[in-house]
Parts: sequence; structure tokens; C-alpha cells
Amino acid sequence: MKLLSTLFIVGCGLSLHAQGIEKLNGDALFGDMQARHIGPALMSGRVSDIEGHPTDSKTVYIGTAGGGVWKSNDGGVMFNPIFDDHCQSIGCVAIDPASPDKTLWVGTGEVWTRNSTSIGDGIYKTTNGGKTWDKMGLEKSDRISAIRIHPENSDVLFVGVQGALWGPNEERGVYKTTDGGVTWEKIFYIDENTGCSELIMDPVNPDILYASFWEHRRTAWSFSSGGDNSALYKSTDAGKTWNKIHKGFPEGKFGRIAVAIAPSNTSILYSVIESEDKNLSGMYRSEDAGATWKHLNADFGLVVRPFYFSRIVIHPTNPDIVVKAGLFGSISRDGGNTFRSLGSMHPDIHDIWFDVKDPDKLFVGTDGGLYRSLNLGNTMEIIENLPICQFYHISVDDQEPYNIYGGLQDNGSWFGPSSSPGGVEARDWEVIGVGDGFRVYPHPTKPHIMYSEMQGANAIWRYDDKVRQTRIVKPFPVEGDPKLRFNWNAAITTSLNEPDRLYVGSQFLHKSDDMGNTWTKISPDLTTNDKAKQQQEESGGLSRDNSGAENHCTIFTIAESGLDQNVIWVGTDDGNVQVTKDGGKTWVNTTQNIAGLPANTWCYHIEASSFNKGTAYAVFDGHTSNDKNTYCYKTTDYGQTWTSIITNDVYGFARSFQEDYVNPDLLFLGTEFGLYVTLNGGKNWVKFENNMPATAIHYLEMHKRTNDLIMGTHGRGIIILDDVSPLRQVTNEVVAKNLHFMETKAFEMSEESTFGGTSSETQFVGRNPYDGAKVIYYLSKRHTFGKMTMKVLDSEGNFVTSLTPGKKKGINIVGWNFTSNVPVVAKGKTITFGGMVAPRVPAGTYKIVIEKGKETYESTVEVKYDKNSIFTLAERKKQQDVVRKLYNMTEELAYMVYQLDTYMENGEATAKDNAKLSKTVAGMKTEMNTLKETLVITTGDNYVGSAENQLRENMGDLYSTVADYDGEPSSTQMENLKKIEGEMETARQTFEKIKGKSLKKYLDSLEKMELKKPILKSYEEFVKKD
Amino acid sequence: MKKIALAALFIIGVISVKAQDVTVDQILDTYFENVGGREAWSKVEGYSMKANVDAQGMTIPIDMVNLKDGRMVTKFTFQGKEFVQQAFDGETTWSVSFMTMKAEKGESEDTENYKRTISEFPDALLKHKENGYTIELDGEDTKDGVDCYKLKVTKKTQLVEGEEKENIVYYYMDKENFVPIMQEQEMMSGQMKGQIAQTLFSDYQEVEGLYFPFSMTYQTEGGGGQTIQVESMKLNPEVDDSIFMFPAEEVTEEGEEK
Repeated sequence: MKLLSTLFIVGCGLSLHAQGIEKLNGDALFGDMQARHIGPALMSGRVSDIEGHPTDSKTVYIGTAGGGVWKSNDGGVMFNPIFDDHCQSIGCVAIDPASPDKTLWVGTGEVWTRNSTSIGDGIYKTTNGGKTWDKMGLEKSDRISAIRIHPENSDVLFVGVQGALWGPNEERGVYKTTDGGVTWEKIFYIDENTGCSELIMDPVNPDILYASFWEHRRTAWSFSSGGDNSALYKSTDAGKTWNKIHKGFPEGKFGRIAVAIAPSNTSILYSVIESEDKNLSGMYRSEDAGATWKHLNADFGLVVRPFYFSRIVIHPTNPDIVVKAGLFGSISRDGGNTFRSLGSMHPDIHDIWFDVKDPDKLFVGTDGGLYRSLNLGNTMEIIENLPICQFYHISVDDQEPYNIYGGLQDNGSWFGPSSSPGGVEARDWEVIGVGDGFRVYPHPTKPHIMYSEMQGANAIWRYDDKVRQTRIVKPFPVEGDPKLRFNWNAAITTSLNEPDRLYVGSQFLHKSDDMGNTWTKISPDLTTNDKAKQQQEESGGLSRDNSGAENHCTIFTIAESGLDQNVIWVGTDDGNVQVTKDGGKTWVNTTQNIAGLPANTWCYHIEASSFNKGTAYAVFDGHTSNDKNTYCYKTTDYGQTWTSIITNDVYGFARSFQEDYVNPDLLFLGTEFGLYVTLNGGKNWVKFENNMPATAIHYLEMHKRTNDLIMGTHGRGIIILDDVSPLRQVTNEVVAKNLHFMETKAFEMSEESTFGGTSSETQFVGRNPYDGAKVIYYLSKRHTFGKMTMKVLDSEGNFVTSLTPGKKKGINIVGWNFTSNVPVVAKGKTITFGGMVAPRVPAGTYKIVIEKGKETYESTVEVKYDKNSIFTLAERKKQQDVVRKLYNMTEELAYMVYQLDTYMENGEATAKDNAKLSKTVAGMKTEMNTLKETLVITTGDNYVGSAENQLRENMGDLYSTVADYDGEPSSTQMENLKKIEGEMETARQTFEKIKGKSLKKYLDSLEKMELKKPILKSYEEFVKKD
Repeated sequence: MKKIALAALFIIGVISVKAQDVTVDQILDTYFENVGGREAWSKVEGYSMKANVDAQGMTIPIDMVNLKDGRMVTKFTFQGKEFVQQAFDGETTWSVSFMTMKAEKGESEDTENYKRTISEFPDALLKHKENGYTIELDGEDTKDGVDCYKLKVTKKTQLVEGEEKENIVYYYMDKENFVPIMQEQEMMSGQMKGQIAQTLFSDYQEVEGLYFPFSMTYQTEGGGGQTIQVESMKLNPEVDDSIFMFPAEEVTEEGEEK
């Protein structure tokens, strides 16, 4: 024991000087606080790449646009995320053919370059099947289009880097490593504007490579695909030299070029080109390994939006079966001459994967998830456990449980509950908008009214859920108005002060006080109104693409102060932060007061403080100017001065922010790579990683009643961090203590039925929050040595139950489901389910006692009844009395059976050695067994072989059904109680008779023969629980 | 002996912080010194323990016996009835069905995989070399807020659906005192295949000169778990061989208590 105590001392000594909240990393702070994912997965999200094991078709990987990499071990039935700690925007996944079970590469940065696409941060490798990953460089690659691994040498890789979407970038081109990614050589480079958008390797001769290069650029207000430098190249010497292979292609500029090689005949290649001559765009085929090309087809499905759909996939054994990604996906079975659409599924097809063993089976990645077909793409079924949807924005209401509202990339607008019986399932979600969904708000006081929108505010709907009616309520231009400019993700918000108020931002701020029926402009043009950034009809490059995605010089964020409705903040996508203190009569542009912020940086979010009306936080996102720095500023004087609250702790540009409602120093920041928390107003930030992937957080919201932090992520659906109130209480003093109990509000015992849950095993179900009481404490050091226990006592100090204490360094959360303990139940041949019920405790204050080594720590937990309860206190009292009566009777019965068993066993054993006693024992046993058979089941099993119920079972049934309902027991139950009490009384009397007769005779004989009498536990000892 | 162990703890602690060149052997040596010494551990022929599982209102008592030759039994008591949750009698693994209360044999693959772990007794880290296990230091990680050395232990292969698959267990050794505080292993089959099973160790207490974790929590990464709290433990217990045996035939008859 000396060693043990010394270890303690050493431990304490080491921990003392390491304290202080600035020094805590996430692991040592957040402890048991876990993010909770509720999806949804019914509409899923964008799958950017699919890759299967070369020989084992049970292993399938997908890369997603914003939800990381997922792996299936069962042929695509169930998927698990395997890349949560890293950038979640995936360009490609590659399996090392020489080590397909273990070595996998991921190139980050999606290559389907829509306006909302995220960014990558390099190439990653695992050598253990995805358990852990190492970043292997190419950090500035931004987007990796392809990774090709030498079939016989795992150290030799070729990587296609498409590069930055939003600016020039020298780290483009084809890279090669010969040392497994330790060093990279750029072996082919065109220029800083032209990236490698596809790279393929001849499956037979790994020295033969094909690379397509794409000149392209996005700005916040335009997109350009194509130029003189886009081209298709071939190398036959492992990348040393490259030659254009355009024979048969049209003249002029090219845009994006797709290329694929037939695995079954490497002379056959397909290419889809974007060219100046629309008639000569589309599908080409080469039968001489790229030496010459023949144009086959310029159908819509082949030429549609090349920047979004440039993937060709060829059947593994038949070179004439070829699939092209597209709006619906096109499949040809005649070598590319004619095509039909793939089976019905969510549009926007990005990748296809044929099963290696049964090519009739294929997977398809779309904007709405992953689909599987068993008949070569004729009919498609969606995989239902991929919660990778991309929220642009979320909001919450105040119902119980509260609902979350939000809009999704290409998947409409939705609302669903934060919890639901059986978990949050697909059926819990209701659709309230089509197209791309963005901002969705509930009416603050009329829960059946909600607002949603589609892209570019083409529609802003007011939806009445009571009558299921929609009305478009967007502001239209009036006499004298210029064209209204709405962002793709147009700003809408409700008011904390006036429930019928709605704001909408075009270049003007529009206000309605009657739920969108009438609108008033309350501002001038608040943007820079830069005409050069308003030429969207010219956008797209070689293929015109004016979807509204590039609308610019628009209002993007609106925040009315909850403390003063005349204080309104507006942020614009071209970098203005404007504020009015008089409800819109006058506006001040505060942008020039923000030191260190590059001009025209997109103001993504403004948060009006709930503590002071002159205080606000503004988040800026520069990534559309190729600026990936993090910007978040605070003002306390209406924007006259702004101070950055960002430190080096934060990685990735930010879009979202949340101020705590109670502790002004507790702030949350959502970046492109996850969630950051500060406990000290931004002096330092800590990344939150407990079950929290490094996914882009587009919007943060806090629920005031529950203190939940709700994250609208762009790739992993809705993620909730339940009850952040413990973080409010973490101070330097707290973390210096050995153990500190956090204050908790009173916990309510829900009386709702727990029925629910209709999902099958293969469907995603979001976890519910814990609905019991929580004991929360901070441990400054993990408990590793010595005993640690935790008990709940009632106000008089009586034992209620024991709990398993948490032992982590950091915040520990121990759940208690409000029950005391189960009764001791009579031993029978079978078990009784009635005996598994522990009664719920009455409302009150309960003491929590933690014993840790020699120290004792105490706290209290307050428990109250369900506020929606239909029961009176008098009714509860009756129930509690009956429960107590049956509980005690159950234990009395148990003790009676225990005595019978003990005497019978003792008698049997004694009679073995003392033949004289056999008759006495036999007589006693007969009487006792006759009684016992009426008390408990003595035959059968626990399933359908069960015997007739006896007193124990009947008593248990009544006990459990009465205990299960917090109201007054029914008259039937009371009558049944009377019957059971009668039977118990009969049993007591019978037992007394036995005690007076055959048992007495046996015990007397023992005494006479000077034999030992059986020793019985006392009743108190028998039923003791603590 | 204990003084030496403590000195080693200090020295290695200092070296590991400054030089970052701690080796697997140093970690394991210090671990065994701190928990009673390799010699004493090598002499363990078996152990038995009484433990409890708390399941919100129910305290379920568990009895476990493990012997060096692999025989083992884990029983729990519920409403006065004993259920064998897991046993191995030298030939086969078995358990008692909760429904019929009859003994049923474990799947042959499970038995085979169990047999392959027998030579680990009493601790997989003790005789890893003799067993042909490889242990590598796979960097450092933080678990339960504690800075740990991460040991990658590659055991004999295991059978998964008829195929030999590698069997890797990660141990997280507290950098301060070198005892394992967590184990991680990928689940190889079933609905949870691919997810990580974790075992947390705490409440280390002395048993006849050796230190054992008296609290073990089994959980999936990020999910809920179940804790076994050991109440008492005995080394080299005397046990009746019959407790391990798969019941030859159904020994109870209808209507008769065993």
C-alpha cells in the first residue's frame, strides 16, 4: 500500500502546476460532454467519390462533399465514418492494390466545384484500414482529383492536384512520390490557373498515364470554366514526358475534360469534353489508347454542367458499357453511341462504382446520398444510414422537445424534433420547402407558422402546418426599385421583439410586421453595389451557368438586437457591416473600423449580443477570395471599434458564432474544420472533438431553455451538444480543486410513454438526449488508483441507489434515471420480470455522495415532477403507498421462500448423515414444498416454456404495473391488491403453522441430538442493498 | 523492490518528458514494477473475483474464476438464480441461455479464438514475447484527459467468419504511472463491425502484492458502457473443477429444483 499512496502523492504533485483554464486542452476539459448526431439521413447528402476493394466486394468506401470518408464492411449495407478527425471535404479515396486491406489514401478537397463546395487541406494515408491517419503533405493542394498507386510498389504514387478554386495556385498539376508520400515531386505543371482535374493509370502498364487539365476559376460573383490551357495529356514514361492527345477533338478552347480507360481493354478510352463548339462537346471514344478520338454523342446528359459532372466509369469486363455522371446519370451499352438515364434516384450523379464480383451490382453517388442497384442501374435503392446532409442554416423553436429547422444543399427545407421516442428517425422529419433550402424559421409565437426559401429567394414561403398551406411572401420590387439582388442563400430572419416581424435582405433591408404580407424597405442599398460583380448572366465560361449561385452584392446576415428593436446589424457578402440605431432611418457603415480585415471580405454572420445592445460579434469568411484565415471581431460600441477575438488555436475559416446567454465569456465558433470553444472571451480557444467530426459548421444556435448548442453542419447534418451549462462554471478556481460539483437545474421526471421507434437496423436513428438527472463534476485528475463510489441518498440520508462514477480528468456526467432500487425477489425456478422494476423516487432533493479514496464529496440533485403531468399529489401519494406496500410484500415473500429453502436444504443435508431424522425432514419438506409451490414458479423456463404464475409472479405483475404509472392505481389494481394481500396472508398463516409444527419438530430434534441449527440471515440483512 | 519501482517511475518519467525516447520495454518494465513485479505476476496460477454490475436500481453480483490453463467461468446471480455467462472447460466455451436456463455451447470459432488467448494469462503484456506478440509504441494519445503512451499489440491472428484476420489491441498506458487506463479493439463482425470497443481500467487496488484494476468499463467509442466493479479478489483460489464443466446432460428435470 505504500507504493499506492506514493503514487497518489506523485500524481497530485504533477497535477498542481498544470492547472488554469488557458492550459486545458479539449481532452482535459470536455470529458463526458459528447456531441449527439441526429442526422437526418433520409435525404442524405452529396457523395463525391466511391471506391471499392479490388477483390473483396464487401468493402466499399465513399468520399463525401462535406461528411468525410465512410466505410462499409458488408457490401454497402451499413457505413461507418472513418475520417472524423480530418478535413471532411473529399476529392478522392484510393486503395493501395498491393495492400488493399490496410493502406488507403484520401485526397481532400471536393472536385465538383459548385459555389458551396468546401476546401481540402492535403493528402492523408492510413496503413491500418482507416483507424488512424497521417497527413502526407500537399497541404496547399486545396483539391485533389485523383490518386493512382503503382500496382506493385506501394511507395510509388501519382497524384492529380486540381488546386484552388478561388484563386491562383502553384500547387497544381501532377505530383509523384517514390517514398510513400514522404516527399513529392511536381512532375507536370501547366500554370497557376490550370489544375489536373483527372488522372488515370493504365491498369496493365503503370507507366502509362492520362491527365486532363482544366483552366477554371470561381469568384464570389462569377464562374469561369475553360481556356487555352485546358487539355488532355498522355505520358508513356511514368510521367517524365507528356503529350497532348487531341486528334479528333475540335479546335479552340476546352473546359473540363473527363477521361476513363476500359479495365478490360486498355486500348479503349472514353473522354467527355467541354468545348467551344457545343455540337462537338460530349462523348468521344478512342480505340488506340488515345492516339485518335471519335465523337459519338452530344446529348444533354453528356454535356450538362461539366464542372459538376465529369466522371466516366466503365464496366469492369465489358468495355462497351459506360456510365457518365450527370444530372440523372447516363448509361450506354453500345460503346457510347447511345445512352439512357440511370434508374430513378436523387439527381446530380457524381460517381459510379461497379461491384468487382458482380458488375450488375453498382453504387451511385448523388447530391442526395448513395444508391445501390442490383440490375445495372435500372432500379436504385438509397442507403439509409448516411447522415451527410449539408445544412446552410438552422433555427430552433421553443416547443417541447424543441424542433430544429433548416435548409439543405439541393435537398429542400425541413424541420424535425431534437428528440423523439425511440430516437430521431426519418419519419420525424417534415419537408417545408423544395429546391435548395437555406434559412428556415419558425414563427416565434405561432408554432404552426414557419418560413422557408429556395435559392436566390426565388420563393420565400410562409407555411401553415395546421392547414398545410403555403404562400409565397417574398418582397417584390415596387415602382422605382432597381432589380432586387438576393443572395443564393438569401438573408431572412425573425425578430426577438415583434413576433409577426420578418426581415429579408436583398441589397436593401426589407421589413414586414405582418408575417410577409406587406413589406417596407428600411435601408438604402447597404452593399458596395459594385456593377462589375453583377454580371451573372455572363457566368460559366464555355458553358453558361447562371443558376443564381453567383448573385453578389447582397445582404447576407441580419441581426436585430434582442435588447432594442431599433438596433439592427446587417452584413453583406461584399464586406460591409452596417448598423442602425433608429430602426433603419439612418445607417452607419462600420467596415472601415475593422483593422486587419481585407477589403470586401464576406460578412457571414453577425451576432447581436444579449448582454449589451452596443455589443456585437461579426464573422467574416474570405475563402471566396482564396483567403482561408479566421476572422471574428467584437465591438462594444456599435461598431466604432472592432477587436479580433481569434487566436492561433483556431484552424480554418469561420462562418458561424454563438454567444452564451449566461456567461458572456463563453463563446462558440464554427469553422470549416469543426467547433471551437472559449471560456474567456477569446483569449484562447479549445477545439471540441468528443464525437464531433471536423466538419464545416455553417450555423450555430443555442437553445435557451435547454442550454443546448445546435450545429447546422454542411456535411454531417444536425449535431447537438446537449446542455453546455457546465462550461459556464469552469473557472481557474474550479479546475484547481480535486473534485468540483457543477450546479445543475432541477431535473424533471418525464412521464411520457417510451413507445416509439419504427426504423429498421439499416436506417440511421439519431440518439436522444439523456432524460434522467445528471450529476456533473469536474475532476482535476483522472481517478486511477483506489476505490471510488457514488451513492444517492434521500433527504433523511437513507440509501436510494448506487451509481457508477465517472473518473475522467475534466467534466464527468453521471446519469441517474430517478429510480431507487429493485426489491429482493423470491428465488424460483424462473425469473420474474416484475422484479426488475425499481420504483421512481418522489420529487425532492437528493444527496449525492462520492467516496474517492479517503475523501468524501457531497452535492445535491433536485428532482421534480413532470410539469405536464396529469396527476395530483394526492394521486401520486396513493400510488407511492401501493408501490411501497407491494415492494415490501415482495421482499417479505422473498424472505419466506429463503427461509423455506434454507430449512429444506439444511434438513436434507442433516438427514443424509442422520438417518433417524429422515422421516421428520421428509414431513417438513412435504409441507414446505406444498407451500412453496403456491409462492413461486418451481418448473418451466423463462420463455414460452413458462409454468403457471404463482404468488410471486402475480405480485410482481401488479407491483410493476402500479410502479410503472405515476398516477392513482386503478380500481382493478386495488381489487387485485386485495386478492394478493389475502393470498399473502394465507401464506403467512401456513408458514406459521409449519413453524409451529413440522419445523418445530425438526429444530427440536436437532437440539436434542445436539446438532447445529441452520443459521439464517435476519430480514434486515436479507434485504440490505447499500 | 517497491522502492526500486518508484525510483524507476521517477527516472523514466523524467526521461520520457525530456528525451521522448522511451521504449516499449521501459514502459512494460515500469508497468510491471509498479503493479507488483514480473516475478510475482509469473507465479499467478489463477484468480477469482467477486464483482457487481450496477444497472440503474439493480445490483447484479458476478463471480469470476480464471485459471492459467484457460479454464474460466463467469456467473451472475439474478433473483437468486445463477447464470453462467461465459465458461470454458478446457474443451469448449459455453453459457446458459437466459430463456431456457440450459447450457449452450459457444460457436466453435469463438471457442477457437478464446483458446488462442489462453497463453496470455494473467496479462497479455507479461509474456508477449513468448507468445509471439509484437508490441510497438504507436505514439502518444490522450484518453480520459490523461496523456498516454499508445502501445499497439499484435496478437496471434483470430478467426473471423472462417478467415484468419489480424488481431490488434491498443493499450493506453498512463504516462505518469505507466498502468493501462484503456484498451481499444476494432469489432470484427456483426452490426457493429468496424466500430471500436473500449475497455477502461481504474480503481487499481492491491491483491496479495499485485495491483489489479477493480473497475472495468466496457463501451463502444462515443457510446454507452457497462462497468464491472470488483469487490474482492483472490489469487490462486482453490476451486472445484466441476464449476467449469459443460453440463454433460440436462441435469435438472422438469418440476425439480437442481
